[in-house]
Order: sequence, then C-alpha cells, then structure tokens
Amino acid sequence: MKPFEYLEPTTVSEACALLKKGGAEARVFAGGALMTILMKEGLLQPKTLINIKRISGLKGIDFHPQEGLTIGALVTHHELETSKVIQERLPILREVEKEVANIRVRNVATVGGNLASGEPLTDLPQVFIALDARVKIASSGGERVILLEELYVDYYQTRLAEDEIITQVVVPPLPGRSGIEYIRFSSSSVVDKPCVGVATRVTLGPDRKTCESVRIVLGCVAPTPVRARKAEGLLAGKPLDPKLLEEAASLAAGECHPLSDLRGSEPYKRAVVGVLVKRAFPRAYERAQQG
Amino acid sequence: MKKQIHVRVNGLETELEVEPRMTLLEVVREQLGLTGAKLGCDIQVCGACTLLLNGKPVSACSVLAVDADGGDVLTIEGLAGQGSLHPLQEAFMEFGALQCGYCTSGFILTAKAMLEENPRPGEAEIRSYLAGNFCRCGCYQEIVQAIKRVAGR
Amino acid sequence: MEETETGESIRRLDYEAKITGRAQYLADMKVPGMCHGKILRSPHPHARIRSLDTSKALSIRGVLAVLTRDDIVKDQGIDPYYGPVFKDQTIVAVEKVRHVGDPVAAVAALEPEAAEEALSRIEIDYEEMPAVLDVSEAMAKGAPLLHESVRMPPHGFADLAELKPVEGTNICTHFKLVKGDVEKGFAESDYIFEDTFTLPTTQHCSLEPHGCIASVERDGRIVVWSTTQNPFVVRTQLANIFKVPVSKVRIVVPYLGGGYGGKVYPKLEPLTVALARKARRPVRIVLSREEVFYTITKHAAVIRMKTGVKKDGTLVARQCEVLLDTGAYAEIGPRVAKKSGYTAAGPYKIPNVKIDSMSIYTNRPPAGAFRGFGVSQSAWAHESQMDVIAAALNMDPLEIRLKNGYEEGSEFVTGETLTGIGLKECVEKVASAVGWREKGERKSNGPLRRGKGIACMIKATITPSISCAVVKLNEDASATIYTGTVEMGQGSDTVLAQIVAREMGISAENIQVLGVDTDVAPYDLTTSSSRSTFHMGKAVQLAAQDLLNQLKQIVVQDYGVPPDQVKFSNGRVQFLETVLDYQEILFKRFGMQGGTLVGQGQVKTKVTHERGVKTTSSFWFLGAGAAEVEVDCETGKLRLVKYVTAVDVGKAINPLGCRQQLEGAAITGMGQALFEEIVFDNGQIVNPNFVDYVLPSLGDMPPSIEPILVEVPHLEGPFGAKGIGETALIPVAPAIANAIFDAVGVRIRDLPIKAEKIFLALEEAKKKL
Repeated sequence: MKPFEYLEPTTVSEACALLKKGGAEARVFAGGALMTILMKEGLLQPKTLINIKRISGLKGIDFHPQEGLTIGALVTHHELETSKVIQERLPILREVEKEVANIRVRNVATVGGNLASGEPLTDLPQVFIALDARVKIASSGGERVILLEELYVDYYQTRLAEDEIITQVVVPPLPGRSGIEYIRFSSSSVVDKPCVGVATRVTLGPDRKTCESVRIVLGCVAPTPVRARKAEGLLAGKPLDPKLLEEAASLAAGECHPLSDLRGSEPYKRAVVGVLVKRAFPRAYERAQQG
Repeated sequence: MKKQIHVRVNGLETELEVEPRMTLLEVVREQLGLTGAKLGCDIQVCGACTLLLNGKPVSACSVLAVDADGGDVLTIEGLAGQGSLHPLQEAFMEFGALQCGYCTSGFILTAKAMLEENPRPGEAEIRSYLAGNFCRCGCYQEIVQAIKRVAGR
Repeated sequence: MEETETGESIRRLDYEAKITGRAQYLADMKVPGMCHGKILRSPHPHARIRSLDTSKALSIRGVLAVLTRDDIVKDQGIDPYYGPVFKDQTIVAVEKVRHVGDPVAAVAALEPEAAEEALSRIEIDYEEMPAVLDVSEAMAKGAPLLHESVRMPPHGFADLAELKPVEGTNICTHFKLVKGDVEKGFAESDYIFEDTFTLPTTQHCSLEPHGCIASVERDGRIVVWSTTQNPFVVRTQLANIFKVPVSKVRIVVPYLGGGYGGKVYPKLEPLTVALARKARRPVRIVLSREEVFYTITKHAAVIRMKTGVKKDGTLVARQCEVLLDTGAYAEIGPRVAKKSGYTAAGPYKIPNVKIDSMSIYTNRPPAGAFRGFGVSQSAWAHESQMDVIAAALNMDPLEIRLKNGYEEGSEFVTGETLTGIGLKECVEKVASAVGWREKGERKSNGPLRRGKGIACMIKATITPSISCAVVKLNEDASATIYTGTVEMGQGSDTVLAQIVAREMGISAENIQVLGVDTDVAPYDLTTSSSRSTFHMGKAVQLAAQDLLNQLKQIVVQDYGVPPDQVKFSNGRVQFLETVLDYQEILFKRFGMQGGTLVGQGQVKTKVTHERGVKTTSSFWFLGAGAAEVEVDCETGKLRLVKYVTAVDVGKAINPLGCRQQLEGAAITGMGQALFEEIVFDNGQIVNPNFVDYVLPSLGDMPPSIEPILVEVPHLEGPFGAKGIGETALIPVAPAIANAIFDAVGVRIRDLPIKAEKIFLALEEAKKKL
C-alpha cells in the first residue's frame, strides 16, 4: 500500500470534521476488510485514513421496545453472530452472519462498513432492508436518519456525502405474526461470495393466513439491493398460494439486473432468484404463522 | 511517518516503530522474526496469515499494525508452554493434520480461538468455524479429527 | 500408532518444526546483505519490444540494479536460452513477449517498495502483435507463430529425445502411439462413439508462492535457495546458463509449502541469479499470488475420443486426440503430452489404439507439470466416455470396467507386459465402499436427486530416471540420510527414514534426514511424478544394505568370522554365540568412539527402446474413485455426499502418510472438478486471486472421504512400495460427472462442473421431452 496519514479521532464530530477537511483524499477506516483490498490493488490511494475504531458509542447491540434493535456501526459481523440480544430478538441475523466470508473477516469487518460500502456481493443489506431498517448518519452538519433502502445508488456508490459516517443501524420491532427468511446461494464453494441472496419477510393479518405486508429483497443481482415490488404486490393481501407464488417468483426474477460474471450468467442468476423466492417465501410464511 | 506502538506479543510487552501502512503480518514477521504466520493470498481468504488479536483470529495480512496498538497478539510461537506443546499441537501431529505445514499455524490458532468461544463444539460447528482456513494439501479430515479430540469428542 | 504387515504410521520427522512455527520456508529466510527483487511483466499477450528505458528507474532511492535483455544478451558469460526440454525461454524477454505476465525486466532494491516503485518507472515501447489465445486459434491456418524457431539442448532428457516442435506451426510437441489398426477395429465394432471433452487452465495454488534467493560470488560461485522440487535439474540449467561448472552451483531447498508440480524445473532461479549478479548482492524474490498465476499453470485440454465397441461391451478400437494448451513456453509440456498420450486410452485392454497427443503453443502463461501430469485431462475423457458407452449399451459402468480393465500380465498399448496392477481390486473396493450395488434404492427428495459414479485410471512415472542416495552410519549407530528428495508435505523425509530404519533394524528416531543441498546430496532427478518412495526409497534401501555389507565385512575381517555365519537381526549382528551392536563393531574397527561408514545406493531405471518398449514406466499407478452426489434440480447445485478412493500403493510403508496422500489428492481433484478455472480475457487472467479463483474449502467437503489402500506389492519397490502422490486426483472429476449422470441423466463434458452447466443441461433435457 502507498503511504498514508493515519488519524484517530475519538468522537464522531471530530471524525466528520477530519473527513470534511480531507475531502476526496480522506476515507473512513473501520475494519478495513474492503479498504485494504482496494488499497493493495491500487484502486484507492487515499492520503488520509480516518480510523474510527477509537470512537466510543459506536458499538453496542440493544433492544428498546419502541425503537427496536439498535446496532452500533462498529459492531463486527462476529459480534452480531454471537450476540445474546440478537439470538433473542432477531435470530435470523445469526444464521445470516454464520455464512458471511470467514471467521477472520467477521472479526474485523463491521456492520457499518459493510452497509456503507455499497458492495454488491454481500448479504446483510437485503436482510436489513426486508426488516425496514434505518441507518443513522452523522456529518459535520448534524445527523440524519434514512431508510437503508434509500442509501444505495449504484455499485459501490451510496448517498453518503464525503464527510458522513453511518453511526447506527436501527431495526424497528417486527410486528407480531411476522416471519423472515434469507437464502444465500453460492454457485461454487460455500465460502465463495454469494451469487444471489434473497430475503423475504411476511407479516400476516389477524387470520394468520393473509399476507398483510410482504418484503422480497434481492441481493447481488443488481447495482444495489432491490425490492421486488411487483412480486410483493402480487402476494400482499392474499394467503399463500402456490400458483401465485410461482408467478411472484417469476416477476421477481424480472425485477433485477444481474451481471453475467464468473459466478453465473444473467439468465442463470434470474432463474436462481425465482427458485430462492419460491423457497424462502413459504418458510417466512410458516414462521409468521407460528409467530 | 512512523508511529510508536505498544503490543503484547506472546505475553511479552513489545515496543515497535511502524508506518501506518504496515500490516500486522509484516511487522510480526520482519521486525519480530516470528515467521510462523505466512503470507498466502494477501486478500483474507486462505488463512495462512492468521494471528490472534485480542484473542480473535484475524487476517494479519490485512490488519494494520497500528490497529494492534495496546492489544494482545498471539502467534504459533507463543502457543507452546514451557517445555510442552499445546494440546492442539499434539493432536495435529497425532492425527496427521498437516503435510506441507504452511496452513498449520493458521488452523491451530483459529481452532484455539474457537475452543475458547465454544469448548465443546460439534463436528458441524468445527467445520463451519474453520471453513475459511484453506489447506491445499488436503488435510481437512485429519484437522477436524484432531480438533474433535481436543474438544473431547 | 498402527501397523500393517510392514507399515507403521510413525510420527513424521518434520512435524515438530512445522507445528511450532520454527520450520523455515523460503520467504522466512534472510541472507546477510540481501536486497529485494521485483519483476516487471508484459501487459500484452504478444508484442515486440522496440525499446526499453530504465534511466528513471535507476534514479529511485535504494535501487541497486535493473536487469533487462541488454544485460543478458550482451554478456558473453551468459547463455540466455534455457528450458527443461527446449531452450525456448529466456531469463527476461529478448525480442518479444509471448504472454501477459512474461518477465521483461527486474529491479533489485534495498526495500521491496523501492523496487516496486522502480518497476513503474521503466518505460517500454511495445509493438503489439496478433495473439493466439487458445488452442484452436493457435492451430488455425496462418496463425501467428510464437516461436519462429526453437533451440534444442545438446543433451536433453532421455525419455523425450524424439520430441521436437513441428516447424512452421505452433505445435510444440506431437506424440504418436499406434497399436493394431483402428480403422479395422472400427469396422469390426458394433457401435462407435465419438465425444469431445474439455478442461480449462487451472493452477496449483500452493499456499506458499514461489521464491528464490540468489547470491553470486566474484569467482562465479552461485548459491541459490529456492522453492524447487528438482534442485539438480535447476543446478544443471543454471550451470549451462551462466557457463560455470556444475560444482560451482549450489542449490539449497528449504521445506516447501506445497509443490504439486508447480515448482519443478527452473522458474525464478535464472532471473534471480542474473539480477544478483548485476546487483553484486544477494537478491530475494518472492512472487505475489497474482504473479504465481502468471508463472505456471496446468494444461487446458480438448480431447476427442472415438471408440468402437462390441455390443457386449468389449472395447475394440480407440482413437484419441489430445490437444494440450501449453502456453507460451514449452516448459515440461512435451513430457506432459507424451505422458498424457501413453495412457489416453485408459486402463483398458484394447487391441487397436491410435493416439495423437499434442502440446500447442499459445499466448498464455506457460503450462507445465501439475499433479496428474496430463493424465487427469485424458482420464476426464476416457472415464466419461466409458459411462456414455455403458449407458448406451445398458451396461453397468462397474461391469464394463471390470470387463475391459487391465490385469496383472496384460499387454499395454506399447506391447509391453504390465506388472504390479491392482486396478480391479481398486475398482471393486470403491464400488463396495460407495454401496454401488445398492444403487437402486437411491433417495429422491423433492428437487434433490442422488446418484453414484465410478472412475479408474492408469498412469506411468518418469522413466528412465535416476535417484542416488548416501546413508552415513555414525559411531553411535545413528544414521544420516543424504537425499535430493524435497520434503514438500508428502512425507518423504519420514518414509526414507522408515526404509533405512527397517532395513537396518535401527529406530527411525535415530535417523536424521538432511535438508536438500546439491553441494552435499548425490544426484536425484526430481521430486515429482510420484517417484520418490520407489526410486529414492530404493536408493536409500540399497545404501542401507551397503552399510550392512560393510559391517559384515568388518566382522569377517576383524572378528575372523566366515561370511555365511554373519546374520543381522533387530539392529544387531549375530555370529556363533555372539550378538553385537553396530556401535561395538564400529568401535572395533575405528579403535575409538568415532569414525564413519558411508553407504551409497543408486537406482537407475531404463527404457529399452521406443516401439516395443520393455518398460515405459518403472512402476504403474492404478487407482479408482467413486462418488455419491446430490443434485438440486432447480439450481443445478451439486453436493458431494460421499467420496471414496482406492489406490494400489504396493506396500504402505507409512499407512497414515498414504491416507494423507489419497485424501489430499482427492480434495484437489474435487476443486478441479467443481470450482477451479483460470478465466482469460484477451490474454489477461481475470481471476488471479483466491477470491475469484475458487479453491475447495473445508466447508465443501463431503461428510467423509474414504481412502482405501490396496496392496499389490511391487517386486522392485522398497518393501514392495511404489508411488501414490498423484493417483487419487485423477478419477475424481469423471467419477463425479458419472454420478451426476446417474442422478439426473445429464452428461457434462466440460470442467469445471458448475451448477449452471448442470442447470442448463437439465433445461435442455426438459425441452427434449
């Protein structure tokens, strides 16, 4: 890696100020899992890295009955994986995290870093989006909160300004009679990056049959994680029906824009989207019925 | 622009002078002469560079040495006690869990961390925790058997 | 510690050093005064070098030397052309570059970063030329030639003497083998099958990348530490290149972090030596992972197989055309073509065979030795086609193999008689272990379908070849073994010690196997071709026998005992009523606690003549594999449920070591079958890293991989043992493909077997219904 200045602010506002000062030549450095790759490749050569790991208040996983689950941006994947609060409140996250990269990356890479990267071949964003998660973003001007879904613009591009840092992820409490499922598909090794990732969340009405609200979030198959809204629309307001599900899966397959690459051709990835929707949705539905 | 850092390496308080861009692996190997951890892929995949940082397995090839400041680093050289090997080291030898040996330090340190988190893992958990450590010689079965033995299975 | 009749799984000699992190590998080593080297590589697949300007590079602080073609071409002390078979490689590119990654220049500097910086300051004016990026482009009429002419060495390998490039083409080697008359055979056949099978370029991916430290003295003495599997060949090549006597070249080999064929023959050594010579300081070069991908690969192949059979499944005629993509330089490609050719028809009794096996130059990184050496390519074809035939004839794939398979005493394609052939035992054992005959009860679970497949193989080892060993008996009856066999994880140090221990009745714990140093060890051809247990093992056994003979002579002379009364037993000597330790005999001879006895052994194998050869191979590798798979019909995703492999090991000297080799080779075979491929884009490698070149992980393993040791003792091997390192890799891919066919009725003919290929094949099949 080329030489750089390493600054270690101890507060968020200090960090944002440093980012603002450094402009395009300054980058946030959290776990560094992705950053080090980009820097070693020469794709990024920032003059200044702003290490945010010494800032307190960015860790912590808590549950508040009103707000829901709050996850500090510096929480690592492994911390999420092993958290008792998560195990109690949102065990799906543990299942998802177990399959992310490898244990070493999980010990170092952070939730905030993962979400802020905009990298396409990853798992968490689609799961959080299916849960209507929000992110708190700090800048030198203050703080704002947006839906995670609105963060993403394109491959590796988010709406974060140069001086902005994600400080927390907030997952609102899941309504009762909700179920969630995430299926990660690798077209090769189990430790390879995902080829397709589909998150579904169903909330049932009081009859425990009708889908009151549906989320189907497709990951790895578009420039950003994408809600398959047509598929969602088809399934919402109705009970689970195999023919309808088949049709929804087909719609979802058309609602993404996969790239043909080493992990699969575009038509293949679409086909896999369809299969995963068909498999994930009934499981989420069943969990909702039991919930 | 060099920086002074203070790290406890294998229990020994150590002062180091490093550039921010230096990785933990480089510093441990070149400055401390602890060459048990190896460079394999430089991209956090193979696990040959695994070190325990504050008890957790990390890809030392991609951790900045400055981020270890104030922390604890364990390398394979620090595993054996006075005159005796760690049970994992004994078990690896007994079961033939190594051939060329290049991945071995990484596997043993990772297994140690796993057993500290979970002293009685089942086979599925062992395979899952270690899935990110590669052995091109193909000792996977023996490695799992060795760890199961130490885990008391 | 378990024992078979002659085998003992003793703890390996290299284990303590490796388990404590003390074992030294190349990149761990420093030499006083050492500086660091980096290599500048071509960005083009084919281009003429118009000019180079290194002036800016030399001005970087800390840069000690820059090496370019000017240094090697103008220097009378250097013959820049080298190569294990043809001298078609140069230390750095001279007139043109022939692949992306081809070394063009090198820099030595005090710090690696300075060297890297200097590389970026070297200015090169390239004139791009049309490139041939695969075998079909290279073979096309009017294709640009990679090598207008190829220099031949004055003395090459005996087994490759007749192989020459075909002038005016990109055909690097064309090996031909004919038995009987295939056209007549086809005419006599009831059915004829024609199929084409393909494999991509792959890579060894040893976790340890290649590295080299070179130091050159003013008197011409060259000392090299290198990650090489055959230091003696490298020594000879360096002596030729730098025009010094062989005695002036010393190669030292530390432990290797894996080789698998990727570290044979000169790789970094000529360049590192040339750079060290120029820098006048020792230089260390360690390749980055990306550079390793551009240094050496495994041959991609296109294999056409035409087979005629009788309706009862008897093979009558087989015609094979094997096209191997050998990349920009011949390397050991000619031997790969030859070896691949010899066994391209498979381990079967076929009266009429015609084989054309070619290695073709292309503008890709050079391909060379890879565990399996051309045979994993041809076995992919012959074992896949066997099942195509079986299916068409409604025959059990197991039965058709047992029907046609080689047996003890069978006639090989060359007319020679095969001995030491445990093929059918291996096939039967894997069939049994995978529950072959219970196939009918296969489960089907929603979209998941299970199937079983089987495959077998035969391979030869380099013949002729040479291994020499020295064993020293010390005054306390401990022994020291001098060997050129490189310990790269296969456990050679230990097996050699076990052989000497058993031969002499001493404990393996009292034996030291010295590190490989060509100044000290006697000549060994190579640590490859699964040859070390057989050849070097025999050599150390002979050396040990030489020592016993010397001890016997001492007893005869110094104790006045008739020779026929001297007996050896359990590490002691017995004559009449007396039992003596070796120490006492040595003390008697030397009159003090001191003195040395030196025993030596030489093994030299021969091929008598080409057609009607007596021994194409000093021993044969036979093995089989069986796989049970589960296919997800909706995604094509495959899961390995079970894998078993059986290998004829001759005799298992160290059973645990044998099992390690079988499992290890099988696991690499799985990677090659399911995941691995180097993807090219206009000559550039798209995935020269471990994120995008996918290796088999622990998470991908079936719940069990069962290694089965079959023992058909080889008459000439040490205690009946023979080589096994490559065998278990070879049947994996076809066994899996055959299992997939069994499960879902689709035939995949191209590796790797990706989920998408199965998916597409299933879609195709649906359309046909």
